[in-house]
Amino acid sequence: MRHWTPYLLVAPPVVLLASLVVYPLLYNVSLSLRNYRTGEFVGLHNFARALDDPQFFASLWATAIYVSGTLVVEILLGLALALLVHRTIRSGWARTLVYLLFLIPMVTPPVAAGVIARLIYSPTYGVLNVLLQRVGMIHTDVLWLAQPFTAMLAVISVDVWQWMPFVFLVCFAGLQAVPVDTAEAARVDGADGWRLFRHIEYPYLRSLLLLVMVFRFTDTFRVFDHVQVLTGGGPGATTEFLSLYLYLIAFKFFNLSYAAALSLFVLFVTSAAFSVLTRYLGREAGE
Amino acid sequence: MNTGWAKLAVVVLGVLLLTSTAIEGAGLPPKPAKLTMAVVAGGETKGLKAILPMWEREMGVKVELVEFPYPTLYEKLVTAFQANASTFDLLIADDPWMPKFGSEGWLVPLDSTFGYKRDNDIFPVVYDLGSWPPPRGPVPPGEASKPRHLYAITLVGNVEFFLYRKDLVSAPTTWNDVVSNAKKVNNPGQPLYGFVIRGAKGNPVISEFTPVLLSYGARIFDDNWRVTLNSKAAIDALTFFTKTLKSYAPPGVANYDAAERAREVATGRAAQGFIWPAEITDIVENPSVSQVVGKLGYTLAPAGPGGKHAPLIGNWLLAIPKGSTNQRWAYEFILWATSAKVQKPYAMGGGIPFRKSVLLDAQMNKTFPFFKAMADSLAAPPEWRPRTSEWFAVEAILGTHVNAALAGVETPEEAITKAAREIEQHMKEAGYYR
Repeated sequence: MRHWTPYLLVAPPVVLLASLVVYPLLYNVSLSLRNYRTGEFVGLHNFARALDDPQFFASLWATAIYVSGTLVVEILLGLALALLVHRTIRSGWARTLVYLLFLIPMVTPPVAAGVIARLIYSPTYGVLNVLLQRVGMIHTDVLWLAQPFTAMLAVISVDVWQWMPFVFLVCFAGLQAVPVDTAEAARVDGADGWRLFRHIEYPYLRSLLLLVMVFRFTDTFRVFDHVQVLTGGGPGATTEFLSLYLYLIAFKFFNLSYAAALSLFVLFVTSAAFSVLTRYLGREAGE
Repeated sequence: MNTGWAKLAVVVLGVLLLTSTAIEGAGLPPKPAKLTMAVVAGGETKGLKAILPMWEREMGVKVELVEFPYPTLYEKLVTAFQANASTFDLLIADDPWMPKFGSEGWLVPLDSTFGYKRDNDIFPVVYDLGSWPPPRGPVPPGEASKPRHLYAITLVGNVEFFLYRKDLVSAPTTWNDVVSNAKKVNNPGQPLYGFVIRGAKGNPVISEFTPVLLSYGARIFDDNWRVTLNSKAAIDALTFFTKTLKSYAPPGVANYDAAERAREVATGRAAQGFIWPAEITDIVENPSVSQVVGKLGYTLAPAGPGGKHAPLIGNWLLAIPKGSTNQRWAYEFILWATSAKVQKPYAMGGGIPFRKSVLLDAQMNKTFPFFKAMADSLAAPPEWRPRTSEWFAVEAILGTHVNAALAGVETPEEAITKAAREIEQHMKEAGYYR
């Protein structure tokens, strides 16, 4: 009996994992290798089809713009704010207040964020155009959601609003690990703000920033909710990201096999990003 | 004597036999504890909820509504049908779902099972919509040989028609009239726009563009499902839609959905546009939110260059799934809910009726000034989405390119050419032809 005890103990999570993760994944793989109507085995046809699908490449390109835009802005802004709060706000309750305020966007459902943004960006009654006109930055309404470039900016801005606080919180937590006396010594030695960051604070943040980057990369690569509400992928297909295209293929075209192949591509990209990071982090830990 | 008794016995037996058959034919099975009905969550069920207490009082059978958001309802129904589950006794289905439900044979035929008799008070298009295979237009491969039956009857008589500010312009009959009206009142500085477009990508812009496209004499498919969209008529229609009509529309309509359109009308900023009945009762004729109550006129969708009016139908239909264990009572409910007697309280309770006698009733038109336009649209007859389960894909493809043309990302020629090519490719993959 003692021989079996370890197996019995691990059985529940293994069964759970197998039924909730492994089986659906294998089913997805099987689906991607078949014709969605007849069920007949078609090998890699659905994957090859993606290579010949201009809409797939258009959605991939749109996703790349979205991911790089959100990553750069969220990380730079989140880091800058974390440094600002770390260096200027000393009072405990003020820091708690900042923490709480930054949590609000993160707990807002993405669909609600999309609806709010839709109202803000509306050309006729949206508050953004009114404010910009009052300060004299624009003279006629900007059609934020009806033009390709501004629609992309609009969907990126919602992601930044919602998830930049995550970068802020992680960086801010990382900065608490910087020994106060080391920073003070650097200041006494004449280090300016940039040198203080580059040589004292950054080494404590490097691994965290990489971790944040992967989390945000995988999240933005799979973005769906607020984009669906805000632009629905429009105008045309300019904000039709990979996840929206995948939804279209699965639930409008009902081509579940091709959708399965595309979803495996998404899984591959996000897993690759994760594996690159874990190797990199492992190497860093080894150093 | 014996012969006399024998004759009497035969007569009595005959009478008994006939009577029992008649009783069995007209009689109903024992009352079920309840009927379970799958419905869409939203305004479509407002009228239904208003009449349910009447049904329960009269018939003593409870009807339990199980509400799902639009896309979930379709998925739940398909899952239940595939398992032939008795989860639902009744359902309401959007009319573009009929091709899938009809071709899969998931619904109970109302004519051959219960002997449903057609009623002259109901527009023929209602019966056409609930029949499978469809009585006109192209029929999906393998379906034409099936016997035609009536599987569903309208509950929500949704049809798209046209509104105009009757205090500013006269009722337009053609697209030329619409443009003349728009020219007359358009003044962005005020602001007052001559025309409002529901132009968001996908279903919104297609609901708006299809009546224009068809009124120009263009078609998406021929009778063999070959794509005929890439035509001069279609390019002319899209040019008119994205250039002429857009020039009188508020800025940013390429992202407008029904809520934005209704708001433009209700705040007095738009003088003309398409409209669906629910937007009227909920917003534009609702005194608590609208500034234009009593100032709006309603008419048939304008005619194109060839004189063709092409209003779009979007009914919600009542049907009985084959897995239901209470089919007879479900049928009784359909008869009752769609009867002339119930249609008035249904309409007064916020429902969208479909019977001629209700839509043309003078008293009802005082309360609901758009009923006459609805009746005209249902009599036109309105156009339906091509009867194929691939419609959602076709709509997504066309909806992307029409939206791109409206936003100026593609020219009308590019949009039509690309859409036609992609639709043809999709229909090929779906097995409609090689």
